[in-house]
Amino acid sequence: MNKSEHLDSVIKTHQITKEEKLLNKFRERNKEVKDDLFEHYKGSIYNPFNSGSYAKNTAINTKFDFDLIAPFKRYAFGTKGTLKEMYEDVYDFLYEKYKDVAKVKKQKVSIGIEFYADSENDIVKIDVTPGRELNEKQYIEDSKLNLYVYSRYGKFDAGSERIQTNIQAQIDSIRNRATTEKDSIRKIIRLLKVWKKTKFDYPTKSYFLELITIKAFDNKTIAGNLWDKLKTVLEYIKDEVTKDSFTLKDKGNSSNDLADTLTESEKRTLSNDMKNILDRIEENDENIKTYFPENAKFKEDKKEENKYQVKGSGFFTIPPKNERFG
Amino acid sequence: MEDRLHKIIGYVSELKDVSIVDTFEITNDLDIKGAISIKLPDNQESLIFEVRILPEYPLKTGNSESITFINIGLLKYKHIMKSGSICIHTSHCTDLRKKIEIDFNSLKRWIWEYYINGKEDKHYEHLILNPSPIKTAYYSYLFTEVSHSFNKGDFGYFEYSLMSEGSYYGNKIYNNVVQEFKTKYQKSIIQCQWGIQIKSLRRVSSNHGIYIYIETPPANFEKFAFETWKELEPLISQDFLKFLYDFEVSNKNNRGVNIPLLLGYKITDNEIHWQTANLEIGNFPIYHKKENQKYIGYFDDRNIEWGITKNCSYKYFFGRGKMEDKISQGRILIIGVGAIGSMVATTLARGGCTKIDVVDFDVKEPENVCRAEYSFLTGINDKVTDISNYLHSISPFIDVKIIQKGGLFNSILKIQDWEKFEIQIHETEKKEFFNQYDLIFDCSTDNDLMFVLNQLELHNLISMAITNKAKSLVCSTEIKSYDWVINQFEKILDNDIEDLHYPTGCWSPTFKASYNDISVLVQYALKHINLRLSQDISLRNFVVETNTDNELNIKLKEF
Repeated sequence: MNKSEHLDSVIKTHQITKEEKLLNKFRERNKEVKDDLFEHYKGSIYNPFNSGSYAKNTAINTKFDFDLIAPFKRYAFGTKGTLKEMYEDVYDFLYEKYKDVAKVKKQKVSIGIEFYADSENDIVKIDVTPGRELNEKQYIEDSKLNLYVYSRYGKFDAGSERIQTNIQAQIDSIRNRATTEKDSIRKIIRLLKVWKKTKFDYPTKSYFLELITIKAFDNKTIAGNLWDKLKTVLEYIKDEVTKDSFTLKDKGNSSNDLADTLTESEKRTLSNDMKNILDRIEENDENIKTYFPENAKFKEDKKEENKYQVKGSGFFTIPPKNERFG
Repeated sequence: MEDRLHKIIGYVSELKDVSIVDTFEITNDLDIKGAISIKLPDNQESLIFEVRILPEYPLKTGNSESITFINIGLLKYKHIMKSGSICIHTSHCTDLRKKIEIDFNSLKRWIWEYYINGKEDKHYEHLILNPSPIKTAYYSYLFTEVSHSFNKGDFGYFEYSLMSEGSYYGNKIYNNVVQEFKTKYQKSIIQCQWGIQIKSLRRVSSNHGIYIYIETPPANFEKFAFETWKELEPLISQDFLKFLYDFEVSNKNNRGVNIPLLLGYKITDNEIHWQTANLEIGNFPIYHKKENQKYIGYFDDRNIEWGITKNCSYKYFFGRGKMEDKISQGRILIIGVGAIGSMVATTLARGGCTKIDVVDFDVKEPENVCRAEYSFLTGINDKVTDISNYLHSISPFIDVKIIQKGGLFNSILKIQDWEKFEIQIHETEKKEFFNQYDLIFDCSTDNDLMFVLNQLELHNLISMAITNKAKSLVCSTEIKSYDWVINQFEKILDNDIEDLHYPTGCWSPTFKASYNDISVLVQYALKHINLRLSQDISLRNFVVETNTDNELNIKLKEF
């Protein structure tokens, strides 16, 4: 099989334009949450904005990342208001507002709103990350925000108020590279997101994968066909991520190191996963489909003709090929 | 013979700081006997040892050294037997000269560490004693630690059950388990920490012995167990002697019956050891005098008949090796106990797991025995009953629960469309059931069940199955791995479905593979899972592939 052709098909079947209807549902819900936040916190909040992969031009259609940043003014929760109070207040508001139509839960730095499946069984999920400007009106100047860590986030303990970043700068940096290098960086990022989706609840953030992909392109000679490029990036992650010296600077605040968002064990697991992908595909091309599956919904199927004498289908004394023993 | 004697004398004479003080001679038993003196470093003092060399020397006799160094005056030092012989374990060597050099160096090392420097070992060694048979049989009492602190002088009854009969160096032995400690009024204090099966032996066999916690070891030099009851007297209270007296009087109709006495003493700050001695009703080693109308009891100077005890607490039972705590301390469910499932079950039981539930609706037939963890002796038997009994026979701490037919595991687990059914079990209830386990091993090889479990998105599910002829083992450990597993069998691996075993008189063919073929894969897989958990690296799906084109090659492919 031609691995690059398969990867192209993976990207094609994961294009968000193929899910226009679902995308519109996300857009509508996103607008609804955005408007509700703006209305409720009128005067205390700047314009909420999208920060997810949709905004960064790196989205795939099996997982729309609609992340909404809620940038609060310095004294939105009183002159002595803490980041924890900000986080709790936003959670309480969203919970009361959406509890009948969605599951609202506290996440690492955001609050997840997962709307119950609609009549077409579609589930829309919007993550809201509350942040607060560093000093009064400073946000207008530098777009910087302080975030609250609700539950352990890599090396950041729960309750930490140490994360300070410029999310707009994060978005811009990824979007610019993903747009200008759409045949390389954008494709690789999308493929890594497809892979991440095959793992349940993977601890590595999409932003981490985006940054490390860009860092790989900046540090390695990445050329050849799509598989060659992907392979080089996977090798880079495998080799680098567990090194003590490995850092991944946040484009929104160079003193933030995204490497700190993973524990040592999570880094070992990530490196090990990269090794497994490379080893298994090296052994058997077919395994590429395990790690980078096409979106079956948009895959053009070649129908098999009904035939007699197909081995492995099962027979009254011969079990089918997928019979497991033990 | 004479030549060997002269060689030995010559080699010993060559050794530094060693001189022969009593000529080496051949005894009537054909041993060589003599005495040597060893000059101690830094001063002029010397130690003298009687030396006895057996005819096997330089080879060992059985498992013991065939050379002994004896000095009865050194009994108070560590690692010395009651006969005065020094405990040395030395290297294997077939060359007489070298072996003599090695063994004398070992003796010098003992002198340096224990005689000169008075080294105290961290490692505790039990009292030195020879268990006596009662009439012709031996009796052992197996116990566990208990979460109760005894005070010096505490005494009362203990309950024990007969577990098995066997042989002990050719003699009969009755193995008993200590179940519970009670007050002198028979009120329960604390039970030993056995699993359900051992505890349930009480229903079949329940006997009573007497215990006393004396705190200090009943021994001279803290290592040589007392020989006579009289030596024990300073450690025993009058209350206890009176208790023994009253006990014997009130049980006079049971003359000749043996009563075990457990003597408890501290071996570390936090640990008690129990040593048993035999008492015979009508023949207790006690007497008393009346002084001022008061009972004053004594032990007489008859010899103590020591018995056998063993601390079988979890930490000792699994002290030589166990699996990761994430496995051994977890609650486990095994679905399907055929060849793979039964091997997983016994490995986990031996690996320290104590909570294993099993489910399987199949019956074990004699032809299953050759490649699964079953015994022919139990005949045709439900697999769950059989494996449960077997696991209980392995570990005294295991509690195996059999998931009965009719519950969740009936066909209802697989029903997708509930509308027309009266009883409904929803996904959350199914999830709740499975989430009570830390690990679930699905060894059922049931693709439909795998499909259903896949939908539940369980984070604790491990499925294992092999291809025909046990060429590969496929193990899924990740959530929603159904497609991956099916793909391995359908597209990737060589699963030869044409060449199967067709049991005579049965339409249903089965795979071909021996116990050895299967167990090598299962053990490989379990070791990998154990390793990943110890490394704190998330479990990933994997395949164990064998290649037998030339020599056996086993490769683990992690996805």
